[in-house]
Amino acid sequence: MEAEVIEAELVLPTHFRFKLVQSYEKYPKSQSSARRFKHLKQIIQAEDFHRYPPDGPNYVNIESPPPLHPCKRICDITGYEAPYVDPRTKLRYANTEVFKVIRSLPSDYVQRYLSIRNAAVVLK
Amino acid sequence: MPFTSQIQRQADYHLFSPDTPIVIDNGASYFRIGWAGENDPRVIFRNIVQRPRHKATGETVTVVGDHDPTLLKYFDCTRSGPRSAFDSNVVYQFEIMEYILDFGFDRMGANGSQQINHPVLITECVCNPVHSRSKMAELLFETYGVPSVAFGVDAAFSYKYNQQLGVCARDGLAICPGFTTTHVIPFVDGEPIYKGSCRTNIGGFHITDQLKQLLSLKYPHHANNFTWEKVEDLKMEHCYIAPDYSAEARLFQTGAKEAEDKTRTWQLPWVPPVVEEGPSEEELARKAAIRERQGQRLREMAEAKRSSKINELENELQGLEFLMRQLEEVEEEDIPSFLEETGYLSKQEVEAAHVKAAQALRKAKGEPKGEQIGIEEKTDVSTDEKFPLINVPDELLTPEQLREKRRQVFLKSTNEGRQRAKQRRIEEELERERKIQEDEERRLENPQLYLDQLNGKYRELSEKVEQRKRLKLNGNQTNGGVGRGERLNAAQKERMRLLTTAAFDRGKGEDTFGSRDEDWQLYKMMSKDNDDDDDGVDPDEAELMQVTSRLQEIDPTFVPRVDVGGPSQPAFEVPKFRPLTKEDFQIVLGVERFRCPEILFHPNLVGVDQIGLDEMAGASIRRLSCGSQDLEDRLTKSILVTGGSAFLPGIIQRLEAGIQMIRPCGTPISVFRASDPILDAWRGASYHASSYQFAGQAFTRMDYYEKGEDWLRGYQLRYTI
Repeated sequence: MEAEVIEAELVLPTHFRFKLVQSYEKYPKSQSSARRFKHLKQIIQAEDFHRYPPDGPNYVNIESPPPLHPCKRICDITGYEAPYVDPRTKLRYANTEVFKVIRSLPSDYVQRYLSIRNAAVVLK
Repeated sequence: MPFTSQIQRQADYHLFSPDTPIVIDNGASYFRIGWAGENDPRVIFRNIVQRPRHKATGETVTVVGDHDPTLLKYFDCTRSGPRSAFDSNVVYQFEIMEYILDFGFDRMGANGSQQINHPVLITECVCNPVHSRSKMAELLFETYGVPSVAFGVDAAFSYKYNQQLGVCARDGLAICPGFTTTHVIPFVDGEPIYKGSCRTNIGGFHITDQLKQLLSLKYPHHANNFTWEKVEDLKMEHCYIAPDYSAEARLFQTGAKEAEDKTRTWQLPWVPPVVEEGPSEEELARKAAIRERQGQRLREMAEAKRSSKINELENELQGLEFLMRQLEEVEEEDIPSFLEETGYLSKQEVEAAHVKAAQALRKAKGEPKGEQIGIEEKTDVSTDEKFPLINVPDELLTPEQLREKRRQVFLKSTNEGRQRAKQRRIEEELERERKIQEDEERRLENPQLYLDQLNGKYRELSEKVEQRKRLKLNGNQTNGGVGRGERLNAAQKERMRLLTTAAFDRGKGEDTFGSRDEDWQLYKMMSKDNDDDDDGVDPDEAELMQVTSRLQEIDPTFVPRVDVGGPSQPAFEVPKFRPLTKEDFQIVLGVERFRCPEILFHPNLVGVDQIGLDEMAGASIRRLSCGSQDLEDRLTKSILVTGGSAFLPGIIQRLEAGIQMIRPCGTPISVFRASDPILDAWRGASYHASSYQFAGQAFTRMDYYEKGEDWLRGYQLRYTI
């Protein structure tokens, strides 16, 4: 290791005297790390919040409801208010100049713009 | 940048008694750890872990938090980016959490003694799933040997701390736009009521992410400059919440003066390209002199060549003249024998050679061709003389003469053809002149009528031509240049159609292609040259030009339409290659400044189908369903905004206005910003942990194992002390 790296104590030591169990004992290298944890979705599923009384707060039922009135539509490119939608790319746009830009965009850019508002085509 | 890591190792760890709790604010963006009772955390760092490979040794190492980026040059970070222990606001990867805790305790100065012998108060999200909570407790008990643990909610600690400071009251709302989520928690009698709380899955992370994506889409060439850290800085420096998004956007759309003032630019490092210095005056003069000398030499050479050629031709001409004079003296029968040594066959040939030489000489001397025609005509008159064999019957001729006769017949016919063409030209000229004459007469007869007619003709023609051009450029107009079909003009499209039908017209039924002559036309239409009919001038176009020039001649008010086929062309052509300027390295932040933070109020803009901050306050009060107008008024009178995004300028005003809209008319509303939206949660927790009741709030390892999961699920800290 380079002197300045050691100097800055950049690298986390593998052994700490204040720990009862060291990480190398807990997480042997041979074991894949992906097996060791559940994602939030899996945690929620395993918790099975439906079993709990509905009036008690839990992680799922404190989520905000969807909005009641329709959302403002803004131009995907410029952020102005967008009265139009391009039927081909499905991008929202504010005026003819933006439309010209939209039509000259390569398709991966179109998808990236769409993915900002989570509307991109996702292939599974 | 308001948030900076603070990772110096503390030296006074052993000075604290085992009763002093350690307080950890485990936020999704920052990890803060310190001693209970103190005002500030000792160690702060970003809650991320990187596992790069050391370049020199090849071993994988663990790096916690963010460090001096220059030190990371010894590591290969390409294989794994920074990782967080959080999924949304819930800790789920406890291996990463362990690295972070290791680092945190290490920097607190812990060493020796086989365990962390201090109670720990650690924050978690509202209604943390019990899985995450128990794993965290397990980690702290089993790995670090912590005697007791307490869990609390960061937003609640922040509210309590500000209540102490007198910013907010016992009853109120805490609005906490955090890193990955935003919470609204109502407080009644100083205690958070989670039943009435609200969570929207949007936070500062999403703002930065959107800004990053928008900027890299807007400036694809500078995408490398938009690192997460840089964009985070940009957000904190420039982003604000617009009082009214639509009005603000309209300002920018119309290009108002205020919008210009609100636009910020970020100049990327840019080095002006080295301007190539043009050659100096001296150099230019020298080059010109050289060129001049070379030109002079070439001219001299050409002159010499010309004069020698003239000389030669003159000599030849003299020789021929001398020969002709001699021939006149010689008897007719003796001519062939006389000419034998000169190479000519007959007297005519000599004469022809003479004429030719004379012409060449004239040309070489640069004299006008004027007489030439006359001479030609003169020679033409004597066709009989020139082609003596034509009228002689074949029987009388020798084979050699026969060949000569055939040649003469050919020469004569071409000659006559040329004559006819000339005749036709002259006639056409006359015809045109006659037409112009007639035209002029008509004009003089009734100038106004004539002009009107001409104008009508012009309009008709120009429309026709324009339409043709449009047809040719078809597709280019509706443009977008996406599909291949749109790039082809009509003729090319037709050709493609023919080719495809020809290609797929195989193997069905009998092949009758070629039985009719028209079939072969197909190939002509398919051939490539077919579609570029630009070479041949369109007769309409030619006529249009004629009419235009005529109109220009006689009508001073006439202005020709310039944009024939124009609209499909862009107004100006951007040159493809131009020198890069300073402006090309400027990142302009206009609408983005308030567009990105707007997602806090309209999560729909980034595809999160939940209500925004202001409506959450309303939803929260609804959920609480306390039924007392008085309490509701007290809640809205003390609204505290805390968490990282509370720093956004304008958020207080916007929230006040937004909540005013959803609450009944006349509701008292006041919104406050936390005294320090970032650190207040830790400070509140520190204060809480330092009180003597804290010991009763924490649970030990024994409790954890004996009371079971259901108890842990119901565990809730009491904040009022």
